[in-house]
Amino acid sequence: MLSRVADSLYWMARYIERAGNVARLVEANSSLELDSTTSQRADSLAFWRPVLEATALVDAYNEAVAERPELTIPDFLMLDPKNPDSIVASVSEARENARMVRDQISSEMWLELNTLHLFLKSQGAAEWTSRPEDFFARIIRFSLLFQGITDATVPQNEGWHFIQAGICLERADKTSRILDIPHRVQGARSAAPWGTVLGSCSAGPAYRDLYGDAVDEWKVTNLLIFSDSFPRSVRFCLRRLNEVLHAISGTPQGQYSNEAERLTGSALAGLDFADPNDVAQAGLSAYVDQLQRNFNEISQKIFETYVLLPSELQSLNIDSRYVHAYNQQQQQQQQ
Amino acid sequence: MFFDQYNCGKFFDEMFAGDSQGPREHYRVVRDRFRELTEDDLDAKRRRLDRSFLEHGITFTVYGDDDGTERIFPFDPLPRVIPADEWEKIENGLIQRITALNHFLYDIYHEEKIIQDGIIPEHVIKSAEHYRPEFRGLKVPRDIYIHICGTDLIRDDDGNYLVLEDNGRCPSGVSYVLENRTALKRAFPRLYQRMQVEPVDGYTAALLRTLQDVAPHGKSDPMCVLLTPGVYNSAYFEHTFLARRMGIEIVEGRDLIASDGFIYMRTTKGLVQVDVIYRRIDDEFLDPTVFREDSALGVPGLIEAYRRGNVTLANAIGTGVADDKVTYAYVPDMIRYYLDQEPILPNVQTYLAWDDNDRKYILENLDKLVVKAANESGGYGMLMGPTAAAEEREQFRRRIEETPRNYIAQPVVNLSRHPTFCEDGRIEGRHVDLRPFVLSGDRVTVMPGGLTRVALKKDSLVVNSSQGGGSKDTWVLKRRQEED
Repeated sequence: MLSRVADSLYWMARYIERAGNVARLVEANSSLELDSTTSQRADSLAFWRPVLEATALVDAYNEAVAERPELTIPDFLMLDPKNPDSIVASVSEARENARMVRDQISSEMWLELNTLHLFLKSQGAAEWTSRPEDFFARIIRFSLLFQGITDATVPQNEGWHFIQAGICLERADKTSRILDIPHRVQGARSAAPWGTVLGSCSAGPAYRDLYGDAVDEWKVTNLLIFSDSFPRSVRFCLRRLNEVLHAISGTPQGQYSNEAERLTGSALAGLDFADPNDVAQAGLSAYVDQLQRNFNEISQKIFETYVLLPSELQSLNIDSRYVHAYNQQQQQQQQ
Repeated sequence: MFFDQYNCGKFFDEMFAGDSQGPREHYRVVRDRFRELTEDDLDAKRRRLDRSFLEHGITFTVYGDDDGTERIFPFDPLPRVIPADEWEKIENGLIQRITALNHFLYDIYHEEKIIQDGIIPEHVIKSAEHYRPEFRGLKVPRDIYIHICGTDLIRDDDGNYLVLEDNGRCPSGVSYVLENRTALKRAFPRLYQRMQVEPVDGYTAALLRTLQDVAPHGKSDPMCVLLTPGVYNSAYFEHTFLARRMGIEIVEGRDLIASDGFIYMRTTKGLVQVDVIYRRIDDEFLDPTVFREDSALGVPGLIEAYRRGNVTLANAIGTGVADDKVTYAYVPDMIRYYLDQEPILPNVQTYLAWDDNDRKYILENLDKLVVKAANESGGYGMLMGPTAAAEEREQFRRRIEETPRNYIAQPVVNLSRHPTFCEDGRIEGRHVDLRPFVLSGDRVTVMPGGLTRVALKKDSLVVNSSQGGGSKDTWVLKRRQEED
């Protein structure tokens, strides 16, 4: 399959998963805001800041708000086209990528994506604050529906594996970020934020099955990072990623043929033999930061292995006149 | 019911021989079928057709149109019918013409005999915008330059077929022919069967075979790809359609890389050598290190590989000189010169502004002629003398005097008309042309039929999709058994 096509499928899937997870993040935090005391609520900025920190968007927001003082953080996260991680921007990027490979995806996938894109550009979306819960639900349902449509309408071959890789990596990353929010909310040590975290990861029923009604940090961490059966846990996503990367390269499990596979296997092994006590020891924020750095590195290596092909290019004899022009063409990397 | 008030006007009508007369023999069955339809039947069929086009994403892009960049190419359900003997003449004429054009391109990029023998003045060739002197002497496989040609034919008041232009660079529209056929067959299955129509769906297989025929160094089982400018190109739908049907990759410039005079495509399994490129990008955008530096569409190093003969471009570089409307005027002479035959399909009479006598005639008759820029297409850069404002005519007069080489003029040819459904549901005559597609590999293949474009605006002679044109399915009838 063409490298560019694989890259577009991977990013289409990542951006759609991202849109759903940003909705989950904002929903989680909105719900915490309702639970909070009046004094906290008065200072909405302080309340929303942890979400920006958890998503590494503090600088981007400060820049945006300097230009447009009326911009709230939830609006910035939802609808600001200039915020590259906003829902609007994610869906729009997903659509651009889908457009590049429209002949490789099913018309049902395109229709669903295009419908949401048109909705987000409409007036109805701009008024999301009047019915925020409907808005969140719609975005989350869209990302799940899109993934279901994908599984039911396209051949599960190489292209589909790249789609799965995009979903797994993005989901692992965002689950770890959602889990990190309560720690960043000052003074939030009650059970309430952990219940909210579970809710926004669709993990409530899975948790109660395992641990009953009492919610505590250790158990939530155990479920969302280490569960080997819950499909949004970091470990589950990494194991799935490990499988699809091996399916793409044809390398047997337990071996690796490129850096993306080696780093994924290594991160997975780390989680296979760790537990929430290790997390507590390192500090949750520090622990998930390290995970997120691993994810970024894996994504970069997937790009290099299947799109940039540096080792293949080095073995070629490329005229220096062409290298410059070629490099210019490859600069449009996504993130 | 639909044809009761039909009026042929003063034009050649494809379907009816005259106002008070019945349909031409080869249209009788079609007329009967449409006459028995109720308005509701027809509405239902049209809705189904439109939906099928939308669902298949059969769209094109209109440049400079901000809202929703994609549109359906309007489709008229009443098919155009061409009888077998009429088609045979067209087919022979097209084969003759493409053969002469390929001889001509080989000649002007090698010995230039046609210039030395005084058939075409040297300055006409050398001043053509798309003449590429830097490729003189370059050998292309089988000496074929134009592998895919989309010749535009029109019919005059007497129904004679005339060649309006040869599109020898990157002609588009063939995907609509194939999709129109699929849709109309579904809408009128029994009519289609009764009419015994030549199928068109062999086109993509023939196209792939043509590409394989011209592989570098006669390589067998070559890797062929389709090179597109990308999703924002107006014909992107067609590019993906053709690539899919041929089972080849559709690539952008950034998917390819040149090394040591070879071209590779970047795939998830590593680099794969590419042999034949069906390029839907104009010459100037192929390679930023040779042509336009600002172009991000092409492949740096592609031209070097092409020069070394390691990759074939279809069509070859430099075919645009044959598309030049001044060169066009000489095609009948080329046919006589290279093939020693009389042209089967005549040109439209053409006056060349660089010639003093012709120019004098053009300037004296601006109100009667159509003036065209030598290198514009899509209905742009054109003066419709009889309907133009005086001011516009003056503008063209000045331009012709300033750069006579860039202009030609032709008498207004009215284009035949064909009954067409109009917005109010009535049938009226609308002007049509015909773009058949011709492939040249080991042999020349002409797709039976082609794209019938129809000017949907009343009285308009401009059939281009960018200017309100639509299309019809074109039915070439099979030769009747007993005549074999």
